[in-house]
Amino acid sequence: MNAKKAADREEKMENILQLEQVCSGYGEKEILHRISFSLEEGRRLAILGPNGSGKTTLLRVIAGLLPAQGSVLLSGRPVAGMKREELARRVAMMSQFSGTALSYTVEETVLMGRFVHRRRGMLAAVTKRDREAARDCICAVGLSGLAQADVTALSGGQLQRVFLARTLAQEPSVILLDEPTSHLDLKYQTELTDYLKAWGKQKGHTVVGVLHDINLALRFADTFLFLKEGNQIAYGGPKVITPALLNRVYDMDVAAYMRESADRMEDLINGKDKNVPESL
Amino acid sequence: MGKRVRLLIILLFCAAALAAGIGMGSVAVSPADVLRILGSRLFGLALPERLAGTQLSIVWTLRLPRALCAFLVGGALAASGTVMQSVLRNPLASSYTLGVSSGASLGAALVIVTGFTFPVLGFLTLPAFGFVFGLGTVVTVLLFASGIDRGFQNQTIILAGMVFSLFVNACLTMVSALNQGYLQQLMLWQMGSFSGKNWQQAGILAVVTVFGTFYLCCYARQMDMMTFGEEAAKTMGVDTERTKKRLIVAASLLTGTAVCFTGTIGFLDLVAPHAARKIFGPAHRYVLPVSVLMGGAFMVLADLAARTLLAPTELPVGAVTALFGAPFFAWIYFRKKG
Repeated sequence: MNAKKAADREEKMENILQLEQVCSGYGEKEILHRISFSLEEGRRLAILGPNGSGKTTLLRVIAGLLPAQGSVLLSGRPVAGMKREELARRVAMMSQFSGTALSYTVEETVLMGRFVHRRRGMLAAVTKRDREAARDCICAVGLSGLAQADVTALSGGQLQRVFLARTLAQEPSVILLDEPTSHLDLKYQTELTDYLKAWGKQKGHTVVGVLHDINLALRFADTFLFLKEGNQIAYGGPKVITPALLNRVYDMDVAAYMRESADRMEDLINGKDKNVPESL
Repeated sequence: MGKRVRLLIILLFCAAALAAGIGMGSVAVSPADVLRILGSRLFGLALPERLAGTQLSIVWTLRLPRALCAFLVGGALAASGTVMQSVLRNPLASSYTLGVSSGASLGAALVIVTGFTFPVLGFLTLPAFGFVFGLGTVVTVLLFASGIDRGFQNQTIILAGMVFSLFVNACLTMVSALNQGYLQQLMLWQMGSFSGKNWQQAGILAVVTVFGTFYLCCYARQMDMMTFGEEAAKTMGVDTERTKKRLIVAASLLTGTAVCFTGTIGFLDLVAPHAARKIFGPAHRYVLPVSVLMGGAFMVLADLAARTLLAPTELPVGAVTALFGAPFFAWIYFRKKG
């Protein structure tokens, strides 16, 4: 490997996201307390924690939707100073609560994600490139048959996939996902997280996701951030996940619960389940 | 049916509405004769003897400017209604909701009562006051709303608008009550009328409506995105605070100008955008221009009804739009819910 390549590699592995002593909240109430971590480009970070631990708030701070004390740097530049358009070219967020009462088609909705890439002005036509990007993203989330469907007529899971497609169509270098799979069945949960993983790897993009399911998080992410009551409990690779940490974060014996579930499932599969009464 | 065909049908509908608005009345003029008169006035073509007298003056000095004013006011109100509905994400939002109409009415009433006129460009006094008061009310509403609610929620804006509208309306009633001599003029004005509209007013309205609509169309995509919620629009790269303010100011300019020439006319700004969405889907690059056209055509027809239904008595056009608009709105709005 020559020196230039090594330098390139060095460049590539720089921190895309860096938070230092970030505190934030709504009004008087502080929700996040002194969060600090840095994430290299191309990583997949899962933010985990119980309800109300500040996971969504943290995503909103990174997306520049919520002002914060401390510093949030994106490729070394403060998020606070960036214009919306510039920020949207680097960061896209798929939010948990979004929807419309108007009957846009799936394609129109996904094309909205192309806003920052399209030409200005009233008569600026949708380019071929925009259309292709939108079509690819619609295919990627498995909705190619519904491109012309009315978004108000879709199921919760389908709508969630539309929003994911729109987020991908934005082609950002960091993608933020707020419980992207909450309305999806097991098949789509795994399919979509696997797709996102492949997408991140292929393009070298960074993905930050709030995930509820630890199993899904393990399958998807390579870096983990644990929050509890707005405090950062742990940050790092899979090695940081220990039974003690999980118990502390979730206030329950998570390892025992998981072991129990796994044992029961194994018994069921092997036809040796003792928990089912004879009469059934 | 393709979008082009639908657009063509709407253009034909507009032409038919204008022809009816110009041709019908105590003296009937056929569309062909209207075209002949237009040809002679605009291009100096020869005019048949039988049209030269009454017909010419009725069409050219009375009905044509009146119909054009109605069309432009209808268009301006419809454009502003479309924008308010998208920006505030509420199908019931309109210039009324934010107090533009009542503010503009108060401004105009003060001009009427005091008899104040600008020393230069006096004909702009009424629209200028209407605009300034309309915008003043909106700005107050927005400041008030952002003062009590940092998140600048749409419900807060709408409620604040309602409160201020009622308050400003009360001021207007006080002004009328204290100036009994102008009561009839003010009353008439509050119900809206196109009676006695002239070319000068049509000219001002044309400039404001055309430029205003064009400006709003530049934000068609941003409005599409904002219907998904402000946060979603922000993360897609829209500076929503700034866009929202610009759009509300532009929409207020349209309403303010329209209202101060004609008085307050309701319901059209609610109905036209809904009708346009039914025909063209929700994308604003279609909905905005189409609702301008439909609003214009509806208003011409409403004005036609106002002056012919109980002729020779002329009804206030605001009463006509509400009479037909309210049930029509209920039908359009509740049909999809049913």
